[in-house]
Amino acid sequence: MPKKVFVGMSGGVDSSVSALLLKQQGYDVTGVYMKNWSKDLPGMKCPWAEDLADAKRVAVKLGIDFEVWDFEKEYFEKVVEYMLREFKAGNTPNPDIMCNQEIKFKLFYEKAMERGADFIATGHYARVKEGCSQSPQLLKAVDSKKDQTYFLYRISEEALLHTIFPVGGMLKPDVKKLAEENGLHNAYKKESMGVCFVGEVGMKDFLKEYIDISPGEIREVETERKVGHHEGAVFYTIGQRHGLYISGNAGEVNIGLPYYVVKKDLAKNIVYVSRNLNNKHVWTKQLELKDVVLRNKKIDNLTVRLRHLGELIPATLEGDVIYFEQSIKKPAAGQSAVFYDGEICLGGGIIA
Amino acid sequence: MIYLDHAAATPVSSKVFEAMKPYFSDEFFNPSAAYLPAKKVASEYEAAKGVIAHAIGAKASDLIMTAGATEANNLAFSAALFGDCLYLATEHDSVRKVADRHYSKEIIVDKNGRLVLDDLKAKMTDNVGLISIALVNNELGTIQPLSEVAAYIREVRADRLARGILQPLYLHSDASQALNLLNVNVARLGVDLLTLNAAKVYGPKGVGALYVSHNIKLLPIFVGGGQERGLRSGTENVPGVIGFAKAVEEAEKHKNGNRKKYAKWKKILLSQLQGYELINKKHSLDNFIVLCYIGIDAERLVFLLEDRGVCVSTGAACAANKGLRSHVLAAIGLSDSEINGSLRLTLGETNDESQIHEAARLINEVVAIERGRNA
Repeated sequence: MPKKVFVGMSGGVDSSVSALLLKQQGYDVTGVYMKNWSKDLPGMKCPWAEDLADAKRVAVKLGIDFEVWDFEKEYFEKVVEYMLREFKAGNTPNPDIMCNQEIKFKLFYEKAMERGADFIATGHYARVKEGCSQSPQLLKAVDSKKDQTYFLYRISEEALLHTIFPVGGMLKPDVKKLAEENGLHNAYKKESMGVCFVGEVGMKDFLKEYIDISPGEIREVETERKVGHHEGAVFYTIGQRHGLYISGNAGEVNIGLPYYVVKKDLAKNIVYVSRNLNNKHVWTKQLELKDVVLRNKKIDNLTVRLRHLGELIPATLEGDVIYFEQSIKKPAAGQSAVFYDGEICLGGGIIA
Repeated sequence: MIYLDHAAATPVSSKVFEAMKPYFSDEFFNPSAAYLPAKKVASEYEAAKGVIAHAIGAKASDLIMTAGATEANNLAFSAALFGDCLYLATEHDSVRKVADRHYSKEIIVDKNGRLVLDDLKAKMTDNVGLISIALVNNELGTIQPLSEVAAYIREVRADRLARGILQPLYLHSDASQALNLLNVNVARLGVDLLTLNAAKVYGPKGVGALYVSHNIKLLPIFVGGGQERGLRSGTENVPGVIGFAKAVEEAEKHKNGNRKKYAKWKKILLSQLQGYELINKKHSLDNFIVLCYIGIDAERLVFLLEDRGVCVSTGAACAANKGLRSHVLAAIGLSDSEINGSLRLTLGETNDESQIHEAARLINEVVAIERGRNA
C-alpha cells in the first residue's frame, strides 16, 4: 500500500510541483485547496476562485484526487481576530505565522490524519530531519533565498513528524523548470505573497474595514513637539519611516535626517517619532519574548532572525529573554524572533 | 481547438469585423457633432439601429443601445421603480441581482426548465409592476412560452383597470441567447421590454440593446449628454452598433440553415457519446446540449478536455468560477451530484461536422479516464 498524503494546493507553482513530486515518488496523493478567505475587499476582488481553479486544474492534470476544505470560519477566529487584537494593542503581528500554526499545520493536519493520512505536504521552502531518538528537526531550505522557516517555527512537533516539504531541497529556478517541463500551466503565475487577501489592498486598507480609528498627533519623542498628524496609531510600526505625514519647519528640513517611529501611546493616540538614530527607543541589547517555542534544549550561541530572510544575529536565550552581543535596532512588538543553530530552526518567540 | 461554449461567447465574425473597421478610424466622428461627416455617421448609426430593431419587429426609436445585456437588464427594471417584481428561478444573475433590489419573488420552473404558469398566477398581486422571463435560458437553452404569459398579463391589466388600480404591469424578456436561431417578434411575444446582446450573435462584446415599448417610463442609469432619448447618456458606440447590426443581419440570413445543422450535430453527439443522461430533453434550442455524468466531477472533465483542445463548460461559466452550484440546474430539480456531473456543450459557427465527431470521441475518452480513476 502506498503511503497516503494530503498536499495543500494553492494554485501556485511551489505547491503544484510538490504534488507532482509526491505523485512521482509513488505516494497516494490527494490535493486539497484550503479555503481560508473569500471575501472581496473594497477595491480588490479576492482571487480565491481563480486560485482554486488553478489548483484543481493541476490536480486533474496529475490525475490525483482533489478536495476543497473550508476553514473560513476557523481562519477568521484564529488568524484574523488574533491579528486585529494585536494591532489594536499597538503591536505588529505576523498573520502568516499564526496561519501555519493554527490552520495549515493544525486543522489541516488533524483533518488529514482523521482521513487516514500518513503525511501532509505543503509547498513551503523548508526541510524536516527525522532523528531516530530525538524529536524531528525543522531545517532551513536548500535555497537560502527562499527559506520559509521564519513562518514555520511555531508548528508542532507532532505535525512536523508527519510533514513533507517536497520542494524544500530544491532551488526555486529548478522548481519552475520542473513545472514548465511538466506542462503545469501556472509555471509563470505570480507568486502569492504573505497574507493573500491583504496583499493587494495593503494592510492599512484591510485594517480600516475592521478597526475603528481616529486621527491623532505625531510628536517628536525628545521634545514632545507636534510634528504632524497620523490617521490612526495602529497603522504605525516601530521602526517605520515611510508614510509619515510630517510637515517639517523651515530650517529643520535641511538637517536631512528622516523621522522614525519609536513609540506609540495608544491611550493618548500619539505616535512618537525621532530623528536621532541613537535614541534609546531605537536600540536594544535584549528582547523580551512571549509564547516561546523550543524544539531543542540548546539555548546559547544561537543565531536569531527578526524578520523573514533577515540577518542571522548571534544571541543567547535566558528564560524568555534573548541577549545580543551588540545593540540591535529594536523590532516591533508582535513580530517573531526565530532561533537557529546552523541550518536547524530551533523555535522562537513573539516579541513582547 | 474545438470550441463548444458558444453560449458563453461567440467570436466576432469576419463580416462583422469588416463592417466595424471604418468606424474606428476614418468614420470616427461624434454623431452629435454639427458638421456633415459627423451627420453621416449619425445617420449610419440610426440605420444600424433600424436593422437591429427590424429583426425583432420594432423601430430604431424603440431601442436604447447599451454596453451589453447586463446594463439592458438593469435598465429594464427601472420600469417598475416602485413596483414588485417576479422573475423566473432560472434567470441570469443580471436579472436576479437587480430584482433583489425590489420586493421580488421567483417563479418556479418544471423539470424541463419551463415556467409554471400557475405559480406565476399564484404570486401575482396588485403591486407587481414587472415580470422578467428570459426567452431562452443561458444554461439549458430552454425556450419559454412567453406569449402565454403575455396573454395572462393582458387579463391582469384589464382586471386592474376595471378595479381602478393604477399600477402598470410590464413583461420583460432577456433574449440574449435567442437571435441566432429563433424568430423574435416583440408584438407576437407580447413583451414590453426586451434585452438583446451582440456578444452572443457573433457581434462585439460590450454592446447590447433594450427594446422599450411606447409609454414606458424608464429611469436612466447614466445621465449626461442625453443620447438614446436621454435614457443612456454617453457618446454612441458607433463601431459596436454597426457590428451588432451586421451580426443580426447575418443571423437572420443563416437562421434556418443553422437550425437544421445544429439539430443534425446534436443527433450525432447524442448517438456517439456514452454513459450520459441528457438534461435538456424538451423545449430547448438545438445548439444547447446539457449532459449529466453521474458520479463524475464535470469540472475535472473540463480541465481534461482543455488539455485535449476542447473548450466546454460546466453549467454557467460564472458559477463554475465561484465554486457555487448552478442555481439553474438546482431550479429544475437536479441533485448536487447531478449538478456536479453536468457538462454544457453549446454548438456554433466555429464548428464543423468533423469537429463534432472528434469532440464526441474525446469526451468519451476523458469520461473513461475519470471513471477508471474512481474505480
